[in-house]
Amino acid sequence: MASTTVEAGAAGHGAEPRGKRTDDGQATYLIAIAEALWEEMERDERVYLLGEDIGAYGGAFKVTEGFLDRFGPERVMDTPIVEETIVGMAAGSAMEGLRPVAEFQYADFMSSGYDEITTVLSRYHYRSGVPMPVVLRGPSGGGVRASSFHSTNPEPWVAHAGGIKVVCPAFPGDAKGLLKSAVRDDNPVLYLEHKWIYRRIKEHVSEDPDLLVPIGEARVRRQGDDVSIITYGAMVHRALEAAAALEERGTSVEVVDLRTVYPYDEDAVLRSIEKTSHALVLSESYRYAGIGAEVAATIAEKAFEHLDAPVERLSPPNLPVPFSPPLEDAFLPQVADIEAAVDRLSAW
Amino acid sequence: MTTIQMPQLGETIIEGTILKWLKQEGDQVARDEPLFEISTDKVDTEVPSPVAGTVKKILVEEGATVPVGTVVMEVDDGSGASDAAAGDGAAEPSAAAETETSDGSDAEATPAPDATPAAEPTAPAAATTAEAPAAASSTVTAMPDRGPRSGIVSPLVRRLAAEHGLDLATVAGSGSGGRITKKDVEAAIAAGGAPAEAPAAPAATVTPLRTPAPAVGTAPGQGDTVEPMSHIRKAIAEHMVGSIQTTARAWTMVEVNVDHLVRLRTSAKEAFRERHGVNLTYLPFVIRATVDALKAHPRVNARIDGDTIVSPGSVHMGIAVSYDAGLIVPVIRDADVMNTVGLARAIADLAGRARAHQLRPDEVQGATFTITNPGPYGSVASVPIINMPNAGILSLDAIVKRPVVVDDAIAIRSMVNISMSWDHRILDGEIATRFLARVRDDLERWDFAEDLGL
Amino acid sequence: MRRPAWLIRPEGQVPYDVANDAMHALAERRLADEIPDIVILLEHPPVFTAGRRAAEADLLWSADEVEARGGLVRRIDRGGSFTFHGPGQLVGYPILHLGARPDAAGYLRGIEDTVIAICRDHGATVGRRVDVQTGVWSGDDKVCAIGVRLMRTRVTLHGFALNVDPDLAWFDGIVACGLPDHGVTSLRRLLDREITVEEILPSAVRRIATTFDLAFDDAPAEVAAAFAPARDVA
Repeated sequence: MASTTVEAGAAGHGAEPRGKRTDDGQATYLIAIAEALWEEMERDERVYLLGEDIGAYGGAFKVTEGFLDRFGPERVMDTPIVEETIVGMAAGSAMEGLRPVAEFQYADFMSSGYDEITTVLSRYHYRSGVPMPVVLRGPSGGGVRASSFHSTNPEPWVAHAGGIKVVCPAFPGDAKGLLKSAVRDDNPVLYLEHKWIYRRIKEHVSEDPDLLVPIGEARVRRQGDDVSIITYGAMVHRALEAAAALEERGTSVEVVDLRTVYPYDEDAVLRSIEKTSHALVLSESYRYAGIGAEVAATIAEKAFEHLDAPVERLSPPNLPVPFSPPLEDAFLPQVADIEAAVDRLSAW
Repeated sequence: MTTIQMPQLGETIIEGTILKWLKQEGDQVARDEPLFEISTDKVDTEVPSPVAGTVKKILVEEGATVPVGTVVMEVDDGSGASDAAAGDGAAEPSAAAETETSDGSDAEATPAPDATPAAEPTAPAAATTAEAPAAASSTVTAMPDRGPRSGIVSPLVRRLAAEHGLDLATVAGSGSGGRITKKDVEAAIAAGGAPAEAPAAPAATVTPLRTPAPAVGTAPGQGDTVEPMSHIRKAIAEHMVGSIQTTARAWTMVEVNVDHLVRLRTSAKEAFRERHGVNLTYLPFVIRATVDALKAHPRVNARIDGDTIVSPGSVHMGIAVSYDAGLIVPVIRDADVMNTVGLARAIADLAGRARAHQLRPDEVQGATFTITNPGPYGSVASVPIINMPNAGILSLDAIVKRPVVVDDAIAIRSMVNISMSWDHRILDGEIATRFLARVRDDLERWDFAEDLGL
Repeated sequence: MRRPAWLIRPEGQVPYDVANDAMHALAERRLADEIPDIVILLEHPPVFTAGRRAAEADLLWSADEVEARGGLVRRIDRGGSFTFHGPGQLVGYPILHLGARPDAAGYLRGIEDTVIAICRDHGATVGRRVDVQTGVWSGDDKVCAIGVRLMRTRVTLHGFALNVDPDLAWFDGIVACGLPDHGVTSLRRLLDREITVEEILPSAVRRIATTFDLAFDDAPAEVAAAFAPARDVA
């Protein structure tokens, strides 16, 4: 055959992910993640990738498509379907001075590597003093009709482990800058990329290979005076949509995107509450003992005298994410739920 | 005036029918007394009056169906002057007549012009004076029914009211069930709301914390770094402005020859560290001398409490410590019973824990006097702000070698400027100067060697 | 946490006027916050009741005829048309304080949900008919009539009447609920088996408690005594 067909994936075979931006230079969240990995691998030879089907297949979501051709099998390593081995290898090679970025096909499956995550990754530095520059990546979150094994928000599991930073970007620019910060961080970092955002959200992303977004800093995505919505991940987009609708009805909503959920930016949260006196804590992780519970508790402790209404939480119940579309919609906070919660708070 | 609306009895109920008016125009109603019966597609109910007063107007015919929210009735609760005709005494409810006016209209209630002031007023007058004292002033609007939740005050509302001396009883609540919201309080403050008590706190205690709005031209520009004020920064700001606005600050400085102290420290510091485990700085010597001077001049150790001046029996020495979050003043309790070694240890302990954020709240309270020590950073004279409610704050600046006149000859000596900002409300220049002279004399004359336990 | 509430379950048949008076007296006390929420579950002797706006023509029998059959006719202060209460029917009167911003529509939905759950507990598939009228339905037949009044917009009065196994012939005397094109039915008919009010009481209590978040205690004897059923007159 004279012609060969190259299937256009996310990053393209052997091509820089940047070449996969839109014509006007915007990057999707997924491409931004690929760019960050590519640039960090070019910058630092110690950075390598490992995970299931990330090499020849280019990853379940095609984030690492083209990486094998460019960086070779030693730095883009396909592993067996054993998460415990993936995390264990990452930890061991980090002890020896490498900077691994391990991918879970779905963040849900990190539970199979949980012993290595909690017992080794989170503890080893405290035990031995050696740095543990490991990044664990995984697609998280629901809203994509993927059922209970492929829709989990595991950020509280790992935030509770202690010793591991947990990052949940909502926008392509943050996704890129935070992943680069995570790779350069000497601590283990869990980097959760929300699969609902992957191809839905795009924006102009810096091409500066050293533009980092610091871990642990929130960003106010929308300024407002009446009610603060503290959120992260895909819920940021729902909050912004609700805020726009509420603005038309005369309620001014501030949206604080935590970006990092552990350690999270307490000052930014308190500043916002000081301004609006009304707090809606919105998260896609479970309500019970979830990230939202932690944020709400801190507001109650530290901003008591700034509150004009009780702190309200909006998060799913402690149940598996349902497969049935109407049930999944009922399970996840929707724009209408957010609007109703803000209305309740402002009317309190 | 209170308007009565067709009530909202649930989101899906959009209209209601007036079945029957239970009160007619001119009728008196008590609070919660039914005014009319309504029927909706779901339920029937009678609608109670949210206020006591007189039915002023009925705006809808019996049998009419109107949307939820329609004003169907007006009840005069005596609160609004808008409709209350001044001369229409007969039609006004008695409450309105109780309002005292400057033209002496309540003389009607007084039995005779020649009644002696001490005479018991007659029954109607007694009722008048007993019932309406609070509503007497025409500037205070009596609040009608304030709703079932008007007593629920959020932490923020309580704080704002306290900070602005606002009497919440004068604020109408727009929140659900009549709750007073942040916006209500802010509006009341903006409108110059009624103070909680007539004798307001001294103006000096009202401290603007931050500049209300940036002046034109001072907005952050390109390359500027903008960072929010931390909570500690704000607390410091508030404290400092409060001091400046409250105290009558004066400042006095003495020069101290510390030549022999420098020699003593140089020779003793190694042994001191070995023996006592902490570094020997100049600060414990200065505190030791200051404590002695405070005992000699207790007025400098005093504070103002209302119209009195309180001189504590002990000296609790505050030491200003800078750390990553700003400035904090841990307190050496009972510094007057410590020798130089004890002071050195206390300083090392408190300063170390201050920088490690490990001080307990009681360790930063109760200073009777304060010392600040900018000397190590090189200043030769400072004008510190008084740490209220202290009467003074002493500044220890840098020890420098200077040519000085000794016995009519010029000599090189290690000299230090020790100064004090002091509150002229509590003491005068003579005491301040005598006090500083005592500190100087102690430092120059005492032999601290025996105090070092070496 | 569930709110404490009193449960009153008089035995025997409580005359309508006795229950109506006692219910209003309790609602007054509930309004004054002297007592907690109350739910009364009882059976009446035969009686037709009608809201004040009910059409006179919807009573198909003459007063004499009703009396001859041992029934009564009462005009009462709830909304709605004619309905019937009698033996074999579980009548529930929740006296609940709906708070400062009462949601009457939500309350009615709650009553419907409760009755639907009770019926399903016993195997009957029923539902609501938002297109027709408040109540619980099986197709075009109503199994439970619901009529509610609010005292001073805040405290609920009257309630629901679930046809467990009443003599449905009584409904021939009225245009039930003012709906000539719709019928009535009972659990007995829907399930095609014998069923008694007694049998469904436990489920009713449990479902009411769940829906309205109540923790029941028996009402004090002197309160319950107001609903003492009719005594046989010698």
